[in-house]
Amino acid sequence: MRMKLLIANRGEIALRIIRTCRKLGVRTVLVHSDADRESLPMRYADERYALHRSTPSETYLNIPKLVTAAKDSGCDAIHPGYGFLSENSDFVKACEESGLIFIGPSSAALEKLGNKLQARQSMKDSGVRVIPGSDGALNDEEEAVTVAEAIGYPVILKAVYGGGGRGMRVARNSDEARRFYRITKLESISAFGREAIYIEKRLENPRHVEIQAMADRHGKVVSLGERECSIQRRHQKLLEEAPSVALDESLREELNNAAKRGLAAASYTNAGTVEFLIEKTGKFYFLEVNKRLQVEHLVTELTTRIDIVEEQLKVASDSHLGFSQNEIAVNGWAINCRINAEDPRKNFVPSPGTVIHYHPASGPGVRVDSALFSGCSVPEYYDSLIAKLATWGANRQEAIQRMRTALDEMEILGVPTTISLHRELMRDEGFVHGNFDTAYLNAVLPRLNSKILEYEKLAAVVAAAGRIRSPVAQTIGVYKSSRWRSAARTESMTGQRRAG
Amino acid sequence: MRTLRVRVNERAYTVSVDQTGKDRFDATVNGERFELEVATSEHIASWLVRYSNEPIHAQTRVLPNGKVDVWLAGIPFPASVQAVGIGGYPIAREALRQESIGGEVRSLMPGRVTSILVKEGEAVKEGTPLLILEAMKMQNEITSPIAGEVKSVIAKEGATVKKDSVLILIE
Repeated sequence: MRMKLLIANRGEIALRIIRTCRKLGVRTVLVHSDADRESLPMRYADERYALHRSTPSETYLNIPKLVTAAKDSGCDAIHPGYGFLSENSDFVKACEESGLIFIGPSSAALEKLGNKLQARQSMKDSGVRVIPGSDGALNDEEEAVTVAEAIGYPVILKAVYGGGGRGMRVARNSDEARRFYRITKLESISAFGREAIYIEKRLENPRHVEIQAMADRHGKVVSLGERECSIQRRHQKLLEEAPSVALDESLREELNNAAKRGLAAASYTNAGTVEFLIEKTGKFYFLEVNKRLQVEHLVTELTTRIDIVEEQLKVASDSHLGFSQNEIAVNGWAINCRINAEDPRKNFVPSPGTVIHYHPASGPGVRVDSALFSGCSVPEYYDSLIAKLATWGANRQEAIQRMRTALDEMEILGVPTTISLHRELMRDEGFVHGNFDTAYLNAVLPRLNSKILEYEKLAAVVAAAGRIRSPVAQTIGVYKSSRWRSAARTESMTGQRRAG
Repeated sequence: MRTLRVRVNERAYTVSVDQTGKDRFDATVNGERFELEVATSEHIASWLVRYSNEPIHAQTRVLPNGKVDVWLAGIPFPASVQAVGIGGYPIAREALRQESIGGEVRSLMPGRVTSILVKEGEAVKEGTPLLILEAMKMQNEITSPIAGEVKSVIAKEGATVKKDSVLILIE
């Protein structure tokens, strides 16, 4: 493919995009912040372009810098990845004005689905049911309270320009509505550069199921099937799978049709995801459109064998989609565990730091998308997602079995991660039997966490055995010792001489 | 059979260990028995621990001064190990620093203070939001660990703070 592509992102997704580009012969230019100068994707991009400094606003959110980088390096296209500027209409416009192909929807489609409120309206117009909520952005916290009281608590405050589960808070009373209005607004400004907030009714424990679609510029919209994303905390997906145990063939058909109808009505192009909330009765509501490549796209790739990034590049350069709806066959089952640098023992507080040791899982049906290596740093400036561990199986049971093994193999030392949580989840009866909804993880978290706390006793046992096995402190890094001193220390530490 | 006193976080465990082979150990803690096997001999060793349920994998790194870093499913457990001599007294003396926590509200992560929600002299309950700390794109509400009065607000709005820096004092 004749294209030179600027990758306006970092970490695992930058590497993911580079991999497809190398397959297709597309030249890549990777922009990078100071903090990412030694990151893994830097090794595989054809060219590198420094943005200088490290905060998102000075780097991956800085439209003028990115457009200049693309022009300077002679790129004809920009892939935004996910997060950052991936759904920012100003960025798309800036690309178009500079004659750069934006790998994503056209600005016309973005105008229709540009923000969460517009998307709601557009879906409503094409006959898809939406969740009751405010018709426009809220002016202040008092209006938040008024609207919330009209539709009834609990409600969700959402950043109109938000995405990726960020900029969202559940309020259960007027006090929380006021407080969370302020926090959501702050979060929205810092993460998305806009402050508009709106309100939706919070449904009682629905499932979160989404349809991955691809649309070309010639009017073809194809569904690549659904993903089940109900395992969430703080509205952040933690685990995704494809397909979903919640759908039977008729409900699947309905969701696929609603998603395609909604996207077609907006003349949407490129990869897009339509998210739905499904009540226990099977009644479903439009939640939002993700107008970008998603974190969890890999489970769809595993079940459809389609390279979504490749299709994105083709569609953006005016080609027809390489397949039609009747050629899409969902094969087997795929699960993705998001490995975040967060400490499950401290309420999942983000834990940046240095990875001192990394060993990825591998084997049949295992895919790891990550930019980790032993010695890499996990900067504090960016998202806490550091790896995606996905498994494929002929059925759900096999995918789960493979995930258990893969989680055991995956060694990430130096920053606490969510591996332990996934390990317990893979053995949790509700998850294994497919009986869960969006409230499930929060409900079982204390139980899973108490199991994780039991690890401490195991740690004590391993520490004792580890000490006996290698009583001599080894020379690591700056620590220097002589054999005589080590021997003396060994004796004093283990009490060999006196205890005998 | 060797008996060791192991501290993990703030808890102490007495562990009896028997080396049953070159790379095999039996260990007992609180009457519970574990079988351990060690796989590699690099500076980070890999362990398989068998106990009542399913086996679990662990990694260790032995450091000077009786310190052993242990990881289980990616969670770090920094431990310190002392041999127990005759009469059960620890032989190697190690200053076990008990972190004074009290009413110090510390930063659990490096980040930026985006907003301070309390003033000095204000009464707070356990769980009262004190400030908002932005880290990794998330706005984290830092709440009071205890009920009391805000003695001093050390953090400044907009300031970048390191991990473990004291943000607010509560009395």
